[in-house]
Amino acid sequence: MSALLRVRNLTKIYGEPGERTLEQTGPEWNSNICPETDSIVACAGVSFDLYPGEVLGIVGESGSGKSTVVKLLYFDMEKTAGSAWLRPYNDGRTNMLEASGQQKRYIRNHLMGTVYQNPRDGLNFSFSSGGNIAEKLIMAGSLHVGSIRERASFLLEKTEVPVRRMDDTPASFSGGMQQRVQIAKAIANNPPLLFLDEVTTGLDVSVQAKVLDLIRELQQELGIAMIVVSHDLSVIRMLTDRTLVMKHGRVVESGLTDQILQDPQHAYTQLLVSSLL
Amino acid sequence: MNIVEVNQLSKTFELHILHDKMIPALHDIEFDIAEGEIIGLTGKSGSGKSSLMKCLYRTYLATGGEILYYSRGGVVDLVKASDHEIIALRRSEVRYCSQFLSVIPRVSAIDVVAEPLARTEKNRDLARSKAKDLLEALGLPTALWDAFPVTFSGGEQQRINVARAIIARPRLLLIDEPTASLDQRTKDVVIGLIRDLKQEGTSVLCISHDEYTLERLADRRLHLQSGRITHAITESI
Repeated sequence: MSALLRVRNLTKIYGEPGERTLEQTGPEWNSNICPETDSIVACAGVSFDLYPGEVLGIVGESGSGKSTVVKLLYFDMEKTAGSAWLRPYNDGRTNMLEASGQQKRYIRNHLMGTVYQNPRDGLNFSFSSGGNIAEKLIMAGSLHVGSIRERASFLLEKTEVPVRRMDDTPASFSGGMQQRVQIAKAIANNPPLLFLDEVTTGLDVSVQAKVLDLIRELQQELGIAMIVVSHDLSVIRMLTDRTLVMKHGRVVESGLTDQILQDPQHAYTQLLVSSLL
Repeated sequence: MNIVEVNQLSKTFELHILHDKMIPALHDIEFDIAEGEIIGLTGKSGSGKSSLMKCLYRTYLATGGEILYYSRGGVVDLVKASDHEIIALRRSEVRYCSQFLSVIPRVSAIDVVAEPLARTEKNRDLARSKAKDLLEALGLPTALWDAFPVTFSGGEQQRINVARAIIARPRLLLIDEPTASLDQRTKDVVIGLIRDLKQEGTSVLCISHDEYTLERLADRRLHLQSGRITHAITESI
């Protein structure tokens, strides 16, 4: 089996880095700010492989760079350096981070979906919930109104959003429901890869369980590979097979999720795990 | 034929947050598991039984030595194999059953049990029907099948755990105290289910403190003391 997504040396630096910026930042410096140039290393040297149907977790504290990784891969941000090859895009031969704007739009609309922490980042609140899903379908080339409506109601049903509320805007929905509309939109075009960035943060425990349950079910049923970003180790434990631990923009440890949680090797991971309630 | 060969295995925990304190757990462990063999792992609490089992499952990273596993696809050193190789083996051949059920919120008992088989067979209905057979054999009241195991008693959770571990018929089963909180009748059922697996060629490493269970299951015993195997007893079954 070959990897669905290969990522090498993914790096994002804000400001003008100096020659020694990468040497002088990171966990051993306890900072991601370059002392010489004040440039900020959001993430650097991140490399991993993701297999079809695999769920990879990225865990770390606020500012560790975990969201930056998925934002770079979803083209929400421009990389400073690094490569990423997605198998369904040009047979994995082209670095998608260097693709043209038009190619990137194609990849975003056909091959990936993303769910943000804040539903306002992933949904257009002036459209109806059905309209939000339709937008994603139209971007991928669907033009038939009847089939778009049918697909939208199928997806809302799948994500347990009452279909009769299809014509209401997400603004009138609860937080958990908004999150489920975002998930419906993200999987609208059956992408092989889904990014989930802190999707349950800020939700009530019972709503959180429902969203996690939905994600698990979709993962098993559709076999979507996922990258789950969370600061919450219980979310990581429940959803993922493998985990990257990030601190100050670097991956400090990676391994099987149960190994990371029960036999952490790096000092930071040991601290993180021992802080678990 | 051996399915597992453990050579000079050691494990030491290094606690960086406690001034790099070293906690030795296993020393120079050597043993084999043959195909279709059940090994009972005994020893006092803290002697290293669970650590050894977790090294085999790669929940713990061994510090030294090797664990050769003869998989369907060839021999793999479980100490050094890539995470992806381990994930593939866990999905298809190797199963770990802990003493405690790690509950998945809002998933019914029957689906918790069916999940490993549904994953490999891609047939949810078949997996659910096999799960029902197992839960029935284990005497879990039918009223609980659609309930969420988080609210179950210890013995009920243990039965879910055992059923989940064996439903996909693993080649190697690592099972920690499978009968500890069960009544006599259920204990006999669990022992019977594990013996059925053995008949199919599954190898089992079983931690137990229960003499009744060990007598009926183990072909051989390994006894651990302070992280070392002190003696091996062969049962005459």
